[in-house]
Amino acid sequence: MVIWQMFVDSFITQGGYKEALKGLAVTLVTAISALIIGIILGTTIAFILLSKSNNPLVKTLKIFFKGYVAFFRGTPIAVQLLFIYFVIFPAIGLGLLKAEIVGIIIFGLNSGAYVSEIMRGGILSVDKGQTEAGRALGLSSVQTMLKIIIPQAVKNVIPTIGNEFVSLLKETSVLSFIGVMDLTKAFREIGGGNYEYTIPYLILALAYLILVYIVTNIVKNIERRMRASDRQ
Amino acid sequence: MIDNNQTFNNEILVKVNNVYKDFGKVKVLKGVSCNIKKGEKVVIIGPSGSGKSTMLRCMNLLETPTYGEIWFEDKLLTPVDPYLHFDIIRQSNTYKQLIVNEKDKNPDLTDEQLDEQVIALIKKDDLLKKREGKEFKLAEKKFYNENYLDVNLTRRKMGMVFQHFNLFNNLNVLDNLTLAPVQLKLKTKEQAEEKAMELLCRIGLEDKAKVYPSTLSGGQKQRIAIIRALAMEPDVMLFDEPTSALDPEMVGEVLALMKELADDGMTMVVVTHEMGFAKEVASRIIFMDEGKIKEENSPQEFFANPKDERLKEFLSKVL
Repeated sequence: MVIWQMFVDSFITQGGYKEALKGLAVTLVTAISALIIGIILGTTIAFILLSKSNNPLVKTLKIFFKGYVAFFRGTPIAVQLLFIYFVIFPAIGLGLLKAEIVGIIIFGLNSGAYVSEIMRGGILSVDKGQTEAGRALGLSSVQTMLKIIIPQAVKNVIPTIGNEFVSLLKETSVLSFIGVMDLTKAFREIGGGNYEYTIPYLILALAYLILVYIVTNIVKNIERRMRASDRQ
Repeated sequence: MIDNNQTFNNEILVKVNNVYKDFGKVKVLKGVSCNIKKGEKVVIIGPSGSGKSTMLRCMNLLETPTYGEIWFEDKLLTPVDPYLHFDIIRQSNTYKQLIVNEKDKNPDLTDEQLDEQVIALIKKDDLLKKREGKEFKLAEKKFYNENYLDVNLTRRKMGMVFQHFNLFNNLNVLDNLTLAPVQLKLKTKEQAEEKAMELLCRIGLEDKAKVYPSTLSGGQKQRIAIIRALAMEPDVMLFDEPTSALDPEMVGEVLALMKELADDGMTMVVVTHEMGFAKEVASRIIFMDEGKIKEENSPQEFFANPKDERLKEFLSKVL
């Protein structure tokens, strides 16, 4: 029972719960913001990568985004955090940006790369006839994409986007690499106060498990509602 | 004097001019030409793989022709095909070179004969190269700029009906009908909805306005796909095997609606296997086989006196 007493000491008496709550907020805000950035960015990238336009600007963008996707999918997120926060951002004059903000940006960029692949699959899974019908009515390819294809693609990819959110949520645990106090870092500090980590890490693991459980259920709910609207 | 009435009746809406279409190594269209005049109901028949759907889809550029041109009214929809324009050929280096060569060989020929001979030679042996000099490029560009119109603008006037209906699955029936007119700012939302309801009443499906396509029968879907095209108030309607994916008992309702359209004077191009419909509604029937138009005639002549051997064989199997 000694370890339990030690945990209560550092968690409640010394106010460790405040840090834990702050850390939870940082983890959630980072994951949610990153997902939103990722969806907007990823959808745009997917649209450009699938475009058949011969416009030189589009062609250049295609090459750029292919490199972008390769970088963010091909390197660990911890390396991306270190490299961008300590090398790239200072070099382009963004060295003074708060680490929390940088974290959101990097996770957003990372998520954008994954979501672009998810959306690309989602867009390709929509029947070609839908595009043809839109174009045959005189809609432009952008109008057809926005009004017909993407809404259907989104419905197809919701379960996969849910997965993406779950992994984002877990991956934010490396935010401490750039000194951000997220949920993981908070519990490390709580345990570090008296060098007793058993209970803090057990609770930390449980906290992630519960978060993931909640998110999974929310996604399932959204999915079910969307399927129901089909059969109206 | 030109008879004005006559020219009006002969007004060409869609002109398919010497169109070739390759899908990779497969040559699907091997030089087809046809004109669709205002008010005509043209039915295209032929065995599967004959290129009839591809030709139809070339008309609104859902397929881009490999060679040849598509015109709608007096507007060019495809890039210029220089082989179809002698004035452009005459600007090419190849032409100028050949004129000199031929003149050396046959000094007795007049300029006109020479011109004719060289152009025939160029067309026959496909002699134009990638680079034909500045004058050629300019002539091509000038012609293009004077005649070209973005296909998105033309497609508004060409309704298309697909074999698999292709109603927008993410929109209810009413939104399916109003999406394009509203997005293209041709109508306000209210006007578009009014028109959509009027069309739905016409086909007796006004109670389906708020449902999603997945709940409809094939026949209902296809009739709604037809009025979705009509909501754009098109000048010509293209039908790509509109009844091929339907249960037999639903074919009748779709054909009835198409007949109604024909009676209203709509210009129609229909790819179909429904010989009864062709006989009854068509003003002209085109028979295609192996990427070419093999025979073209009025329905009476077409069925009574087929001339092409392949057509005779085809008719003996389907009738």
